[in-house]
Amino acid sequence: MTKTIDGIVYLNMLRAGAQKLNENRTAVNDLNVFPIPDGDTGDNMFMTVNAGAEKTQENEHIGAVASRAAREMLFGARGNSGVILSRIFSGIAKSIGGTSTLDADGFIKAMELGVKEAYGSVATPVEGTILTVWREGTEKLNKQTPDTFEELFDILLPELKRSLEHTPELLDVLRDAGVVDSGGAGLYYIAQGMRDGLSGEFHSISAGGTAAHAVDLNAFTEDSVLEFGYCTEFLLRLQKSKIKIDKFDTEAFTDWLNSVGDSVVCFKEGSIVKVHVHTKTPGDILNHCQRYGEFLTTKIENMTLQHNGSHEMQELKLRSKRKKPYGLVTVASGAGLKKLFTSLGCDVVVDGGQSMNPSAEDLVKAYEKTNAETVYVFPNNGNIILTAEQAAKLYDDADVRVIRTKTIGEGYSAISLFDPLIGDTDTVEEHLNELIEDVVTGMVSIASRDVSTGEVEVIKDDYIGFVGDDIYVDEKTAEDAMLGLCEKLDAGSYDIILLLAGEDAGEQAAQKLCDDLTAKYPRSEVIMVNGGQPIYDYILILE
Amino acid sequence: MLVLFTDTDTDITLAEAKEFGYRLISMPYSIDGVTTYPYEDFEVFDSHTFYDQLRAGALPNTSAISTQKYKDYFEPVFEAGDDILYVHFSRNMTATFDSMDIAVKELLEKYPDRKFYEIDTKGITLCSLLPVKEIGDMYKEGKSAEEILKWAETEIDKVACYFFADDLKFFKHSGRVSGLAGTMGTLLGIRPIIYMTEEGKLESIGKEKGRVKAMERLIAYVDELAEDIKDHRVLIGHTDSLDIAEEIERMLKEKYGDDLRTEIVVVNPTAGSHCGPNTVGVCFHANRRTV
Repeated sequence: MTKTIDGIVYLNMLRAGAQKLNENRTAVNDLNVFPIPDGDTGDNMFMTVNAGAEKTQENEHIGAVASRAAREMLFGARGNSGVILSRIFSGIAKSIGGTSTLDADGFIKAMELGVKEAYGSVATPVEGTILTVWREGTEKLNKQTPDTFEELFDILLPELKRSLEHTPELLDVLRDAGVVDSGGAGLYYIAQGMRDGLSGEFHSISAGGTAAHAVDLNAFTEDSVLEFGYCTEFLLRLQKSKIKIDKFDTEAFTDWLNSVGDSVVCFKEGSIVKVHVHTKTPGDILNHCQRYGEFLTTKIENMTLQHNGSHEMQELKLRSKRKKPYGLVTVASGAGLKKLFTSLGCDVVVDGGQSMNPSAEDLVKAYEKTNAETVYVFPNNGNIILTAEQAAKLYDDADVRVIRTKTIGEGYSAISLFDPLIGDTDTVEEHLNELIEDVVTGMVSIASRDVSTGEVEVIKDDYIGFVGDDIYVDEKTAEDAMLGLCEKLDAGSYDIILLLAGEDAGEQAAQKLCDDLTAKYPRSEVIMVNGGQPIYDYILILE
Repeated sequence: MLVLFTDTDTDITLAEAKEFGYRLISMPYSIDGVTTYPYEDFEVFDSHTFYDQLRAGALPNTSAISTQKYKDYFEPVFEAGDDILYVHFSRNMTATFDSMDIAVKELLEKYPDRKFYEIDTKGITLCSLLPVKEIGDMYKEGKSAEEILKWAETEIDKVACYFFADDLKFFKHSGRVSGLAGTMGTLLGIRPIIYMTEEGKLESIGKEKGRVKAMERLIAYVDELAEDIKDHRVLIGHTDSLDIAEEIERMLKEKYGDDLRTEIVVVNPTAGSHCGPNTVGVCFHANRRTV
């Protein structure tokens, strides 16, 4: 029985939690209120919790582990559920503070602060979500006084489950779709894993999650000149046989690294030294470091090839330049769509959207990259707005204004008429918010299951046309669905009918659809753009 | 005697020039290395064919004419013992007048008794055509050079011209518009609104989504700035988009009455090289140029 836990156990619990969620992430993804396969709550929550589990070093001190893990989760947070999850663990870390071990009572107090932080992180807390599940679980514990962590989880887990099963009663969209809340479910799996982690059975860092960036080996040829050097990262275990570990002078070591490379990040946790450095001669650095210990991990990448590395270099170059007055950051997926936003004047188009939410860290990097005094951010998805706002809090070097665009259409509408000359930052922000009021964004996608909305009978594998949560048409082809959707939305009464063809849309079919709409709505300007976005065969923007 | 000159950048046609008594200086453009001098290399401008070339991807360049060419235009007039009044397009949009200044200086040294007057319309296309036509009227009425110059002192600033473009590609290529926000390459229904400043420069003053809103905005500028609008011509210019020009004409007549003296003008190819097809604008008598 476990009466107190230390940092090692806590980290093990986190890792086990991440692992348990990883095993069940598809199940969580499938708890999607909408009958199209775009759910990603499981992925988002896993990547969030795993950022804490994976990037935190082992340490006996629970306060150190908790605060480090919370910080990594804040940066790694993706999606609304991910952001809320990161806040829960941030609250827990704050409550744990500087203590080195924790008993069950202390853990319950920490959970309570987690509830508070999570509720505080959203503008309008919605019940029937992850918030409710965590709050009710915590409240149940508060009425009892478990002596051990095993007892604590024996009370907590059934209560989380009960609360989860009741979420459809609190939230109509869940009831209509016949599912429980996906964020709450994700949390339940994490808690289950944490219970397993108590046993001391060691849980390794969960694999998977972040997809590896494709490397283009042709970017560095026989004739290339090494310009950027190597991004060199390693963990060095200091060895008693080589030096006196507590005499290791991290500061002097960092100075030395700076003399042989740049972009140096170096810190010491216990007997492990973590090093990140850019250098043209990584061998020299490795040889030098072996005087103090042996390597646990090493990673050396040519920065001309390395996607992240070259970006890092660009950022460094940017940072040395004087800041420009404003920058625009948006989120989109699909090559055509990204190009569209770039051509409209966006500085950074972060990869992401419904099927892949960017993390707060991705967004912080994007803000940084603009190198601007004021950054206007267009998340273009209801599930990214909170992350964008969290990232804004984490980034102090610019005045970041998040324009709460929930759709690609709203983003297009605002960005295309962005005018920095109309007044001060507040005026510009206000203008942008006005611009997104009158735009309608419709989508066409394939239905992943039968569903009856009362008005439309949706048949699996048909194409549905919808706006927000309202399904308007069900047709056998994507083009017919779009024609029907335009009719239902009275597209002819708008000046602009902009269509973004997705990656699955056929070129000829798209052209024919454009011609049909042009003939049908002669008063409107019909524009077809190859957006190349996933999931949605067509996106319709009406202005 | 006073001989009037103007240039083809003012949109005046050969027939109109003859009617007013203007001699025409041809401002050339070139596509793929072939240089064309409007109304010297052709008599009637086939605007549809020209702008379709641009739609198909041609990106024309324009060039200044030489000092010698100016001498060829002006010297026969001085030789015959006549004076010159040249009503030209904006100095601030070109370097061509540097060559002209040299030509005029040399000619005046050779013909010290002759006079050379010039009026900078501080405009191009419509924005210079309106004063060119009014000066043509005065000339026909027998007004002297002094009277015309005095008129121009106050009236040039009262010629307002607003227009919107379909594609910024051409403006970007020529680099003649300041203040174009962002790096908009693809316009996607967004229409930048551009006007002619008091200095005779093009300046962007915002954008509208869709043709309808852009047209409404032009009408709103007319509404805000117009002065004695019915006592003057109202010019509506287009680069091969007659339907939009006609729609604007209809909107204006609806507002000001059927007796509004509107004229639909085809923008000349040299200026059209800078704005591209489907650009539409309106030029009218106003109390000032800038809102």
